[in-house]
Amino acid sequence: MNTNSNTYTVIYTTIIVVIVAAVLAFVAMTLKPLQDANVKAETISQMLSAAQLVNDSDLQKMDNRAVLSKYSESVRTAFLINSKGAKVRELNTEEGSIELADNLKEQNYNIKGAGEPNLPVYVFDKAGEEIYVLPVYGAGLWGPVWGYIAFNADCSKIVGAYFDHSGETPGLGAKIKDEPSFREQFAGKSVDVTGTKLFSIVKGGAPEGATGAVDAIAGATMTCKGLDAAINTWLSAYKPFLATQMGASLSQGCGSCGENSGDCCGGGDCGGSCNGSCGGNHQCNR
Amino acid sequence: MNKDLKNTLLNPIFKGNPITVLVLGICSSLAVTVQLKGALVMALSVIVVTGLSSLVVSLIRNTIPNRVRIIVQLVVVALMVIVVDQVLKAYAYSIDKQLSVYIGLIITNCIVMGRIEAFALGNKPWPSFIDGVANGAGYGLILVIVAFFRELLGSGTLLGFQVLPDSYVPNNLVILPPMALILLGCIVWVQRAIQKDLQEK
Amino acid sequence: MSLRQTVDKIKPTFSEGGKFGWLHSTFDAFESFLFVPDTVTKNGVHVRDSVDLKRVITAAMVALLPCVLFSMWNIGYQRNLAIGGDMGFWAMIWFGFLKILPLYLVTYIVGLGIEFTSAQLRGHEVNEGFLFSGLIIPMIVPVTIPLWMLGLAVAFAVIFGKEVFGGTGMNIWNPALLARAFLFFSYPNQMSGDGIWVATRKADVIVDGFSGATPLSQVSGGLDAIRYSVSDMFLGTIPGSVGETCKVAILIGAFVLIYTGVGSWKIMLSSVLGGLFVGFLGTAFGATDVPAWYHLIMGGFLFGTVFMATDPVTAAQTETGKWIYGFLVGAIAVVIRLFNPGYPEGMMLSILLLNTFAPLIDHCVVNHNIKKRLGRVKTV
Repeated sequence: MNTNSNTYTVIYTTIIVVIVAAVLAFVAMTLKPLQDANVKAETISQMLSAAQLVNDSDLQKMDNRAVLSKYSESVRTAFLINSKGAKVRELNTEEGSIELADNLKEQNYNIKGAGEPNLPVYVFDKAGEEIYVLPVYGAGLWGPVWGYIAFNADCSKIVGAYFDHSGETPGLGAKIKDEPSFREQFAGKSVDVTGTKLFSIVKGGAPEGATGAVDAIAGATMTCKGLDAAINTWLSAYKPFLATQMGASLSQGCGSCGENSGDCCGGGDCGGSCNGSCGGNHQCNR
Repeated sequence: MNKDLKNTLLNPIFKGNPITVLVLGICSSLAVTVQLKGALVMALSVIVVTGLSSLVVSLIRNTIPNRVRIIVQLVVVALMVIVVDQVLKAYAYSIDKQLSVYIGLIITNCIVMGRIEAFALGNKPWPSFIDGVANGAGYGLILVIVAFFRELLGSGTLLGFQVLPDSYVPNNLVILPPMALILLGCIVWVQRAIQKDLQEK
Repeated sequence: MSLRQTVDKIKPTFSEGGKFGWLHSTFDAFESFLFVPDTVTKNGVHVRDSVDLKRVITAAMVALLPCVLFSMWNIGYQRNLAIGGDMGFWAMIWFGFLKILPLYLVTYIVGLGIEFTSAQLRGHEVNEGFLFSGLIIPMIVPVTIPLWMLGLAVAFAVIFGKEVFGGTGMNIWNPALLARAFLFFSYPNQMSGDGIWVATRKADVIVDGFSGATPLSQVSGGLDAIRYSVSDMFLGTIPGSVGETCKVAILIGAFVLIYTGVGSWKIMLSSVLGGLFVGFLGTAFGATDVPAWYHLIMGGFLFGTVFMATDPVTAAQTETGKWIYGFLVGAIAVVIRLFNPGYPEGMMLSILLLNTFAPLIDHCVVNHNIKKRLGRVKTV
């Protein structure tokens, strides 16, 4: 047979391509559930690590199924909020059909003005206490950096944090993930929802006793800058939500915070720091 | 095993090593040798891809139209690479993430196409398979040697376990790609010192 | 018996066929270090200059001396500032001397050790090239660098920067800068930051408000962030790599190099012009508010321009090439300083990059000349 004729060539290549496509489709279909479970389990284990629900060495030993069931067991609720902090819809947390908001990149564009963001909030239960886990996402030096920051029930304190990256320099920028001491700094800090800079990663070391700052990693200036920007951009988007959370526990002492009122807290404790949209602003301290 | 086959198997591992002698597949050996684990998985993936694609191409070698030969080979190689990638994503997710694009880039690894063109197109399936596996192994061997030194000196660990004492200060240059090139150079140096016939006049 | 007679007497033992014949390169090295060599050219002569390698290196070493001397004082002076003490002039020099001496010992023992061994192995003569590189290396590192790191860097630079290319005169990159680049990328914590430029003793208490930051680490914050006066930066009473701080000493060195013809004034001038040009563009387009000429007195710009960009082996050889090479060295150094906060000192990277391209620049210049002359022939 003449293998060089046009007809033969066309038929041959068609058959080869169809066979290959069929094989690939079969492989992809069979492996898809496993792959999805991997991605989900990874995201969840990062959240669990941030919320300090499981320690890192135990987490490494857990397989996908264990991670997923740990999530369903410890999560109280998960929902999406819009830029005003209002709940848009619930996310399914049932084991077997866990729904996560894994479109952080898209939401990052939305936060920056491309559209209305739908930001996820995961509420975990840790020995009766509520823990709020919020994602952050941004650009590092070589690629995206992202992570999860866990807050206590009134969002006044950070409980823990977890960061990951796609390709930061090993030994330098990659330490945001690999160096536990960097992540551990976040526990016990708090974010300042009144200012424009909510949280800082300070090159050369945060000032002693600073509540809203941690030390940057030496030699990883650009990665830390990127992470700093990611945290600030995302937490700014969560500002209304965080403020509400903080306000909820303080509202008893805050009385009636009228809109636009100069003395929103009655006793004048707040002085001039209460702005127009006071509604439960956390500066209304007793 | 007859002598020819044995030669096919052993030659690419040392005397005709695809990296140090043929200087193929340099790019990926710079990128995936930061950690030993990644290098091992990469080596294994390349062995599977080179072996299976040589086998498949050799099986259909008499039916391939000469004009679209390269494209047909590419399709076969791409199939193998994607399958390997999918399997890793399903069963070794963390390593797949670490190797990121480099698994996909096995497609462009000159060793695979080079062996198919040079060997599998003109030989029976079994020797072709052996040749593919051997070349993959030769590639993998160099990868593992480079990764061994890079992980040991760059992180003080091997396969993730700390082997050097805490007092050892990790050398960051070893983790950066240039050092992989220098280490490769050293391996070539050592090999040519042993095998005098490789030295260029 | 004079030294000459002693040397002559033991010479046969070290010549070929003698008892220590295998050590002849080592012997040669010491003999020619002490006396003018007694060998004469036998084949066709290729004179490029009347000055031999030894004289070139001696001139370069003399040129570097002011920097070495000043750096000893400055190391003491910086410590004095850090502890708010009142050390006398000689106490500062003594402190600096004790800090610098180990750096030099390590550099020379490791560097020369490798040079002698490799010359011995190959049966080459030992070259003087490392005497100068060795003098420069401690000048371009922070004074607090751990000695083993320095030794490792010197070994790396000599083996992979020089010996694999065939020894002195064959290297592509400046060996001293290669040693620094090795340190910079290998051990960033010991090579950058604010805490490494000032040497203190263990028991020293640092006074409040003292910052060991260099002007270069402050410059990213704009002009206001630089807390050193222009005269401080010019005189060199600031923290920085050991020998790079005092611009006066560097200018004296530049004068010696130009006067003896060892360093090319074209490279120095064009490098300064290149730096000023980019610095000017930077201010004109609002990338920074730091005046262009600040870059000349901050960090290692001047030191690199005078002592390392002009290295005759690694710089461009053609006269037009020197202008292009020098201009790009200065320009790229300031580009890196302005636009890459990850690497505050651009000079090292810029010179190494241009070292790589120097042969290409020469090639283009030579080809251009050939074409021009061919064109002339045709028109006639």
